[in-house]
Amino acid sequence: MDSPILPEGVKRCSLTTFLILLLPCFALLAWGGLSAVLCLWKGLNQTNMSNVFAFALWIVFDLAVIALGAGAFFTGFLTYIIDRKELKNIINAAVIIGFICYSGAMAMLGIDIGQPIRGWFIYWHANIHSMLVEVSFCIGCYLIVLIIEFVPIIFENRKLNEIKPIRLIGHNLHEIMAVFAATGAFLSFFHQGSLGGMFGVLYGRPFAAREGFYIWPWTFFLFILSAIACGPCFTILCTKLTEFISGKKLVPDNAIQTLAKISGWLLSFYIVLKIIDTLGWIYGVVPRAGMTFMDFYREGPYGVWLVVCEILICGVIPAVMLMIPRIRQNGTWLVVAGILNCTGIVINRFVFIVVTLAIPVMPFDRFWSYVPTWQEWGIGLAVLGYGVLVYALSYRYLPVFPKEKELNIIT
Amino acid sequence: MQMKRRNFIKFLVGGVAGIQLTPLPWKFTDDVAIWTQNWPWVPVPPVGAVTKEKTVCSLCRGACGIEVRKIDNRAVKIEGRSDYPVNPGGICPLGMGGLQLLYNESIRFTSPMKRVGPRGSGVFMDISWDEALDILSGRISKLRKKGHPEALAAIDGNPNESTMALMVERLLKAVGSPNYVSMPSVGDTCSMVNYLQQGTGEMMAYDLENADCILSFGSGLLEGWGSPGRVLNAWGLWHDAHAKEKAVIIQVEARASNTASKADFWITPKPGTEAALALGIAHVLIKDRLCNVSFIENYCFGYHDWKSLDGQEHKGFKSMVLDEYSPQQVAGITGLQADKIKSLAHEFGKAKAPIAICGKGKGSLNGSLYEFMAIQSLNALVGNINKPGGVLVHEAMPLSDLQKLKNDQISLRGLKKQRLDQAGTSKYPFTNSLINNFLDAILKRHQSPVDTLLVFKANPVFTLPDTTACYKALKKIPFIVSFSPFKDETALMADLILPDHTYLEKMDDLVCPPGLQYPFYGLTKSVVDPVYNTENTGDAIIRLAKKIGGSVAESFQWPEYEDVLKTRASGLYSNGKGLVGYDASHPVWKMQKAGNRAAPDYSTFEEMWEAIKTGGFWFTAKHNYQNYSSIFKTPSKKFEFFSLRIKSAIDIAAKQKPLKKVLKDLGVAKNADEACMPHYSKDESSQDSTEYPLFMMPYEMINLASEWAPNPPFSNKTLLDNQLRNDESFTDINPQTAKANDLKQGDRVIIKSLAGRIKVRVNITEGAMPGIVYLPLGFGHTAYDEFLKGKGVNPNDIITTNRDPVSGQIVWWNTAVKLIKV
Amino acid sequence: MKKDHGHVGKKYGMVIDLDKCTGCGTCMTACAAENNVSVRKDESDKERSITWIQLYQISNGKKFPDTRYSYFPRPCMHCDEDGRGGHHPSCVSVCVASATKLDPHTGIVSQIYTRCIGCRYCQAACPFDARYFNWWDAYFPKEKGLERYLSPDVSPRMRGVIEKCSFCHHRLMRAKNQAYAEGRREIEEHEYITACTEACPVQAITFGDLNNPKHKVHELIQLPTAFRLLERLNTKPKVYYLSTKDWVRRLADNYRPGEFKRLSKGS
Ligand SMILES: Nc1nc2c(c(=O)[nH]1)N[C@H]1C(S)=C(S)[C@@H](COP(=O)(O)OP(=O)(O)OC[C@H]3O[C@@H](n4cnc5c(=O)[nH]c(N)nc54)[C@H](O)[C@@H]3O)O[C@H]1N2
Ligand SMILES: Nc1nc2c(c(=O)[nH]1)N[C@H]1C(S)=C(S)[C@@H](COP(=O)(O)OP(=O)(O)OC[C@H]3O[C@@H](n4cnc5c(=O)[nH]c(N)nc54)[C@H](O)[C@@H]3O)O[C@H]1N2
Ligand code: SF4
Ligand code: SF4
Ligand code: SF4
Ligand code: SF4
Ligand code: SF4
Ligand SMILES: [Mo]
Repeated sequence: MDSPILPEGVKRCSLTTFLILLLPCFALLAWGGLSAVLCLWKGLNQTNMSNVFAFALWIVFDLAVIALGAGAFFTGFLTYIIDRKELKNIINAAVIIGFICYSGAMAMLGIDIGQPIRGWFIYWHANIHSMLVEVSFCIGCYLIVLIIEFVPIIFENRKLNEIKPIRLIGHNLHEIMAVFAATGAFLSFFHQGSLGGMFGVLYGRPFAAREGFYIWPWTFFLFILSAIACGPCFTILCTKLTEFISGKKLVPDNAIQTLAKISGWLLSFYIVLKIIDTLGWIYGVVPRAGMTFMDFYREGPYGVWLVVCEILICGVIPAVMLMIPRIRQNGTWLVVAGILNCTGIVINRFVFIVVTLAIPVMPFDRFWSYVPTWQEWGIGLAVLGYGVLVYALSYRYLPVFPKEKELNIIT
Repeated sequence: MQMKRRNFIKFLVGGVAGIQLTPLPWKFTDDVAIWTQNWPWVPVPPVGAVTKEKTVCSLCRGACGIEVRKIDNRAVKIEGRSDYPVNPGGICPLGMGGLQLLYNESIRFTSPMKRVGPRGSGVFMDISWDEALDILSGRISKLRKKGHPEALAAIDGNPNESTMALMVERLLKAVGSPNYVSMPSVGDTCSMVNYLQQGTGEMMAYDLENADCILSFGSGLLEGWGSPGRVLNAWGLWHDAHAKEKAVIIQVEARASNTASKADFWITPKPGTEAALALGIAHVLIKDRLCNVSFIENYCFGYHDWKSLDGQEHKGFKSMVLDEYSPQQVAGITGLQADKIKSLAHEFGKAKAPIAICGKGKGSLNGSLYEFMAIQSLNALVGNINKPGGVLVHEAMPLSDLQKLKNDQISLRGLKKQRLDQAGTSKYPFTNSLINNFLDAILKRHQSPVDTLLVFKANPVFTLPDTTACYKALKKIPFIVSFSPFKDETALMADLILPDHTYLEKMDDLVCPPGLQYPFYGLTKSVVDPVYNTENTGDAIIRLAKKIGGSVAESFQWPEYEDVLKTRASGLYSNGKGLVGYDASHPVWKMQKAGNRAAPDYSTFEEMWEAIKTGGFWFTAKHNYQNYSSIFKTPSKKFEFFSLRIKSAIDIAAKQKPLKKVLKDLGVAKNADEACMPHYSKDESSQDSTEYPLFMMPYEMINLASEWAPNPPFSNKTLLDNQLRNDESFTDINPQTAKANDLKQGDRVIIKSLAGRIKVRVNITEGAMPGIVYLPLGFGHTAYDEFLKGKGVNPNDIITTNRDPVSGQIVWWNTAVKLIKV
Repeated sequence: MKKDHGHVGKKYGMVIDLDKCTGCGTCMTACAAENNVSVRKDESDKERSITWIQLYQISNGKKFPDTRYSYFPRPCMHCDEDGRGGHHPSCVSVCVASATKLDPHTGIVSQIYTRCIGCRYCQAACPFDARYFNWWDAYFPKEKGLERYLSPDVSPRMRGVIEKCSFCHHRLMRAKNQAYAEGRREIEEHEYITACTEACPVQAITFGDLNNPKHKVHELIQLPTAFRLLERLNTKPKVYYLSTKDWVRRLADNYRPGEFKRLSKGS
């Protein structure tokens, strides 16, 4: 039915099957939509956030998604600036995933602030000292860059491409994509860093504070590193998932392997620094705050297992796996390593947000716990639904994978 | 140009793009942001002329000076007055929230009303004041015509000394009913002790500020005991970081209350054994010669064994105490260590100005007579009576009596009938009112002997121990009239509502705040125009009397209530030693100690009255210290360790019945001599201790209103979440008790007594004595609005009451209970 | 004396005597009444109820009958620094919309409700939990008429913004206006005190200019019993506490074993 607008020379399921497969996404979106309306209309009392848990599920989602979306700028950086040609075969997917992650995060942030209508005050009454302002500026600009990067891919749709001006614009945009990739990379380096900085500068919260070790908030660099270490892996995982679902090979192995290798190197580098950072924290920040390492892992569900999980199981292990070509080249192990890698970073973002706030700083204060409401889940999962939907639509109607035709000759 | 689709789209896109270049989108976003700053549902308080009105808080008997900040005619903030003698500046959280009671329409009666729904449903209909008073006067006249004026009764929560209490009692007397019942208060026991040991029925006057050792028997100095504004200020003085000598505070209590926690020493006898502890301290004081011998020898009676005129030998206080209350014996009773009792006695005996204070407080409406006598005896032993830093003895407040009552035949006949509560009979010779007897009398008879009940400033259905009994009794009464400004539990049971103004809307007096050491008269005034169609109950009574007519009307000849107040205040003037001005740099406790000789700062009555109306107070700082030969008005003209009045009451009764029966009627478990002296006897609880192994003790908090009015919603912010969580209140229990009952923090549990059961959650704390289950008073309202209604449980619902010996008042403090895990 | 950044002159601060404080809660009530803080049906949800000054109950942790409770009233500390020498309190330096500021002339940390976007970053930054978010609209139902007691000095807040103790800044304004009207440049010590200070029935709270040697607070903070909350975080709070009790002082900060210095031999 929609065959005229499908990319040429590739096989797609029928529209009906496609829509049926997408039903869960629509359901998530409806759930999220309802939640969003409630939150915007009645206020944030619809959530279980509190004066203790000022940041909660949504910020965890945001930070996780932005870290995972780092594949976009980093692949762009590698493709256009470092000129790794093989990555051209995966850059579109990376850009789309990035776009989804960032736009989803922005939407969620819009609901997360108490006065969404005043959101623009961040830009208008900007406080240059605030890491969150830096984040907002960079993410805002980078989202525009992502749109600019996404638009030519949309323009490559068979029907749109028939329109001459559109084709022209698309072509010209392609020509200067390196400029945007560079801008994007620059912006992204900053906001990934500022996101880490946001927590690193919480000097009053010894769990997150990171000054005094090497350089001013050290988390700035750790966040950049961890994002670029897991972003490419997430891109690989998405591609692998698409390949699995469509039952087709979409990206040549060399592209995947390049990303995996770089991811491995970065993760290794990161995890070494993270271990040093943790030791520095344990012997620097923590005692200075009058606490001991164990003070942070005594309360509620947060135990040392979190550290073991984050650093060892989801850090050192995938790093080693990705560094060893034999393992990396095995499809299954690659996916396992990718999942571990991404999980580790998500745990990292989670602890920085939730544990930071949950551990009382005043000795006489007590530990509080937090469980998200269905509205919070609704909005969080709606971003997932939105992501899958946009990704699926893109895959169906746009030539996301330039080598798809070549790798899957229709006989 | 033809509008084709393509053109249209072009136009649209172009338009949208174009608008971005105009200031319009900016203007729009800005406007929207401004709108969020002025959401129509966020109130904008109107500005206006700022004024400040001085008055007095009467949400409790404390009488703190307050200043109400107003914007035009709106009261916007209550602040403490630093130019007021009682409370130099500070007030309590309840007083601070007063405006939420004034302005909360859903808890107030906005007009006179009569009941239209079923009783207790709270469905009323507005009527006019005239109609309301006609209904009531018609009913009273009918009772009088039928020759049963005594079927009119009143429950009055106004303090005994207040003019309003006189008005209510006078109304009943004029109509011809002896059944004027006042709400019990700790003051009842205090004045009874003073009557028996010192001969005057005045309140206790503690010179706390000048004292250097306070031995408090459960008095919640920080929980709202006495006049809270004043007591808390004294606390501040005692603890000043710069003070050279700090007072030592000793708290005797079975719970780590704020006072106990903050005291210098915290002593934890088993509840109900305080009298024994006091006598044990007396023992040590006597034995270790820490007494004031000259005071005892010259101005006390009954210390030594003595012989009465009929030649009989009587035991004295000294030998009783030495025989029966050695530290070892007392240790056995109280569960304390003998050494601790000794060191406590030394701490007290060696102080320069030690005061032992009583008033095991709220929750108790009254105290235990013998316990209070024992405590006051400690003050006598150290001779710290009528001295600076001691317990002062005052004459009655110099207020004039009201003109003589006019009584017609009907009323004279009615007044001859016996009071339903039997107060003043040989069973309860020293007691004025016994509300629980009153309620029992109604419950016992087939038909309620009370036809019409008037309720003034009291909410017995909520505040009396054993609320179920009270509720049942009230249900039996055919017609109830409430004068409450608030929709409290008792008012909801009423048939007719004649709502009073709140304290911020009316003029009324506050006589002698509890515990204050100098004579004091406070006057509230209307600081805002009455918000609703309410009327000062004083005026309503005058109008009612006029409607009843005859001798009743003649007894209320005043044009309005202010004239009644003036009539009484005229005595303050003729007394010739008061002050209506106050300089905060010379606090009264200093003036009094220094021997103030200042002449009155007014020269005519009118001048004095106007000054009281603006300033809100009258006091006198002149005090005749020590003159012991004239202050004690007991039969012996001395301080009596051995009360001759109790003795003569026993002797008189013993002419009619055997002595054993007399003592039994009085509730005394000991012999006739000890019945005249403070002593300890074990509470013979008839309850099966295996069935109900624990004791429940109610307690009060300063930030949770108990008396007067509802709790202001603001105070809900100050409650901890282990006191109230959602709508459930908590019981404090010791970890040991928790373990024995297999309970964890936050568990739900049923507390069951013979009187009933309530469900609460458990707060496990080391501040609780093992074996005791603590419940805060003030929760569990079934009336008012969402800020109060249904929040927590009312311990009064399960209190089983006993009778205190001699006074006949309620023993409420040890209800045997058990815990049932839910 | 060490020079404080930015402070040209006044530095308003508070001293709370914990030995005096009885835990009565009048300061909390006074603050809510003064500053138009609304009350919701359920205030027992302590994570969401708004209490600019919050009373914490602390315990010495001993067994009955040696247990003792004490109380810690905690307003906003009006920090001077962020803890690492930054010239703004932690909450100010992080605010995205410049909705909260440290006034260098008074030391007061302000909060501009109409500027705040409700991102709550400041809340995460404040180690004292002194900041409160309006999870709901202010609760003044029409049928109750409670809005009649609202003071025009302080604007009621809209949903979705942060609020916190302002050191009753409007009282400073009022005092200054008064002084100005009378042709004075300076205000007297007693002319500007906060609502909680004024209300405390035991005079546990003292307020004034920490920099002014004539003010009582200046003298009190020199006492050996004076300390601040979480002092080691170095946020330089302008709220000081007094206590002679070691167990109370110990609970004011995190101490590693052996670090705490006792004042007295007793507890
Ligand atoms: N804010 C506020 N202040 C008030 C009032 C109010 O409603 N609100 N009401 C006023 C009135 S009417 C009164 S009567 C006073 C009363 O004021 P208080 O006399 O202070 O009454 P409570 O707070 O109940 O304090 C009594 C203490 O005695 C303890 N206690 C209970 N049973 C026993 C016992 O058997 N032995 C011993 N040793 N201790 C025991 C309880 O644990 C409790 O802590 O407060 C007045 N002040
Ligand atoms: N649950 C519980 N029970 C208690 C206590 C407790 O703390 N909690 N405390 C005990 C103690 S210590 C005492 S003294 C008694 C007190 O017992 P009550 O004297 O019954 O005290 P309140 O409950 O304050 O009842 C007073 C009622 O008077 C009304 N009222 C207020 N102002 C006025 C006014 O100006 N005029 C008139 N006519 N009415 C007015 C109010 O509606 C209020 O409900 O309760 C005892 N029982
Ligand atoms: S102590 Fe009593 S009189 Fe004083 S403010 Fe509180 S309620 Fe009012
Ligand atoms: S008002 Fe004073 S005594 Fe009461 S809690 Fe506050 S600081 Fe403490
Ligand atoms: S206490 Fe918190 S809110 Fe107040 S100034 Fe310090 S960091 Fe900011
Ligand atoms: S919540 Fe308001 S005050 Fe706090 S950081 Fe965000 S904008 Fe600033
Ligand atoms: S200083 Fe003012 S705003 Fe701050 S807690 Fe005290 S009363 Fe509230
Ligand atoms: Mo009372």
